[in-house]
Amino acid sequence: MKQRRTKRRVLLWTMLLAVSMLASACGGGSGGNSATGSNGENGGNNKAQEEQSTGGNTAAGEKVKVEFWAQKFEDSTDAWFKKWTDEFNKTHDDIEVKLTIVPGDAWAQKLKAAQAAGKAPDVLTMNYSNLAPSAKQGQILALNEYMDQSLFDDLYDNVKGFVTVEGKYYAYPKLVEPSTVLYYRKDLFEAAGLDPNKPPVTWAEMIEYGKKLTKNGIYGVSTAQTAGDLGWSSWGLQFNSAGHLPITNDWSKADVVNDGYKELLNFYKTLYQEGIMPKQQLAAYADATPFGQGKTAMQVSGSWSIGLFRNDYKDMLDKIGVAPMPSIDGDQTKTTATLGGWTLVVDGKSKHPKEAAEYIGWLLGGDPNIMIEFFKTSQFSKFSPRKSVDEAMNQDPDAKNDEWRKLISEKIIPYSEAEPVYPWDISMFFATAIEKAMKGEGVDKALTAAEKEINNFIEKQQLAGTNPK
Amino acid sequence: MNMRNNIRYDNKIAYIMLLPILILLTVFVIIPFVYAVNVSFYDWSFYQDSVYVGLRNFSNVLTDPLFTKSILIGLRFAFMVVPAQLLLAFLFAHVIKGLGKRLSGFVKTSIYIPTIISGIIASIVFAFIYDYNAGLANYFLELIGMEKVAWLADVRTALGSIAVPVVWLGFGITALIMLAGLLDIPESYYEAAELEGAGVFARMIRITLPLMKNVILYLLVIGFTGAIQQFELPLVMTGGGPIDETLTPNLYIFNHFKNDVLVGHSIASALLLFLVLGTISAIIFKVLNSDKAVDG
Repeated sequence: MKQRRTKRRVLLWTMLLAVSMLASACGGGSGGNSATGSNGENGGNNKAQEEQSTGGNTAAGEKVKVEFWAQKFEDSTDAWFKKWTDEFNKTHDDIEVKLTIVPGDAWAQKLKAAQAAGKAPDVLTMNYSNLAPSAKQGQILALNEYMDQSLFDDLYDNVKGFVTVEGKYYAYPKLVEPSTVLYYRKDLFEAAGLDPNKPPVTWAEMIEYGKKLTKNGIYGVSTAQTAGDLGWSSWGLQFNSAGHLPITNDWSKADVVNDGYKELLNFYKTLYQEGIMPKQQLAAYADATPFGQGKTAMQVSGSWSIGLFRNDYKDMLDKIGVAPMPSIDGDQTKTTATLGGWTLVVDGKSKHPKEAAEYIGWLLGGDPNIMIEFFKTSQFSKFSPRKSVDEAMNQDPDAKNDEWRKLISEKIIPYSEAEPVYPWDISMFFATAIEKAMKGEGVDKALTAAEKEINNFIEKQQLAGTNPK
Repeated sequence: MNMRNNIRYDNKIAYIMLLPILILLTVFVIIPFVYAVNVSFYDWSFYQDSVYVGLRNFSNVLTDPLFTKSILIGLRFAFMVVPAQLLLAFLFAHVIKGLGKRLSGFVKTSIYIPTIISGIIASIVFAFIYDYNAGLANYFLELIGMEKVAWLADVRTALGSIAVPVVWLGFGITALIMLAGLLDIPESYYEAAELEGAGVFARMIRITLPLMKNVILYLLVIGFTGAIQQFELPLVMTGGGPIDETLTPNLYIFNHFKNDVLVGHSIASALLLFLVLGTISAIIFKVLNSDKAVDG
């Protein structure tokens, strides 16, 4: 009897073990899968790199293989990358670029895994704010010796600054896009007794209009409201209200408890607490879909949203007005946006930097028509960092007559600032202060806490004096 | 003589059978672990020489209020999820035990389904349910005349809102394991107790629970370590917000891994989390005193 019981017990435990293994296999499913996925990819790269290194060593005539990872953007952008990479491969007998499109949420893991294994791609997409820290770590190469100076002369001066670290160019820019533009519904303005041709220019007006427009299930204003979104989307408004970012220029201490920042926090707080914006975000800041669907009357979002409206909400276009984001005091020449955007860089350990740079120069810095096609497919929601492209594009009737493009490039971009290059943690400390204020904490208390956190962080990371710009 | 031979023969087979798992453990657990411990003492860079920093990564993590907060959030989350899950599973296991063969088969299959749904899918579905404007949850609230709730954006409700899908996902498998434990208890014990005049409640306290001790222990350890390590649901549903109220330890580590230029901080925090989880498991074992749980 005793023995039988023991047997049953053993059986039970075996079952439990099996089930638990199954459960952990299921639970770990996503992690496990992505791990094997990236391993598999690494295996692929491995092979590519082997081919590459042998390719490099063997006699001329064989193609040099250049690995290129692009983050996934809009479908039209992916298609554009594919089309012109094929074209490059067709017209260059000695180089073959292999394009891989990597989804945004897998990007960080995949790239870090490849970097740790020494198998990062030769060419990759990178945004402006990551350039300086990456350059300092030797993760990307200075392009001065691989690319012709004339290519860089074609860039607007401010953008030239974006890609410069300690006097050298570390990237070639593809586009700039202001992070903050105000979209508003003209028809709803009219219905609420507001002049559809006079969008708000001060924060106080925006709050006042927002109150009038919030009715029938439509929210007056939609903007960032989670720390992750506020972290970057509020940079422009921080310049607007305080004239600087929450850390001194030499990165030695926090500079956040002042009237400008207090007013900024109060602005968000009022919008949130008065119910002018929804209590829970309808969509992330970068995604203006709720505005397209008619759920909001004023939407703050980046210039890229124009592409969304023009592609997916064609019947709304007549009702949409575009304007610069209101300013703290109505002065529309004050910064309201930072210029985000994407560049191509060459990996610090690339075995073929010359060929990689040749591809970048050909694609982004060469024939203006390649870039013009890109800006057209993006519905002019993104802007050129190159003078020659803009000159050529101004000959194009579609581009020339585009009112929104004109407004953004004349009234927003000239006053925009570059994205900061300090560690993201600092942006998050400040964004958390905004969120705390929105959720009811006192503005002074939230800012004091942020000041303490930033100063702690500076001390721990030994940031003082390390600003590479 | 013959017997000794036999014994030796068995040992060899046993070692051979253990070998694959030992090799796998060495390659995938022991070596990476030792490597990680080593790396945690450096400012680990993939492109430049790593700089030895001693215990600085650890002291940075330990003095980061956000890390401590994330551990506490993990614990709070576990205290929401595990008791609810065990209680529900315990009740449901009894219900299934009492059902006829056909029906119980159907119910077992049905409650197992959430277990095989990916956490990512579940979090997207629940994000729709919690949608402020058009979500099911707020629809019902408005139906009964209550005000809308910002489930995922309100500091008070966010963590609980994430606990619900976690309970839902894990409840099926927990119930089935409970059921296995229940069915293992001989009916004769209950019959004997009934003859002695023990009521339903007494039978549960005196027979069912003591005999399920090992099962409950197993579920507690798995449940606690699993809940504290919850990652994909807060990642998809809230991104750790509002005001870091759903920032579980793994999400904290992931954020650092993703955003830091150097990797030492992430590894140090992962090792510290390992210590926390080990301690919690040890405490549960100690409290339930498992080695004394022998069958009557």
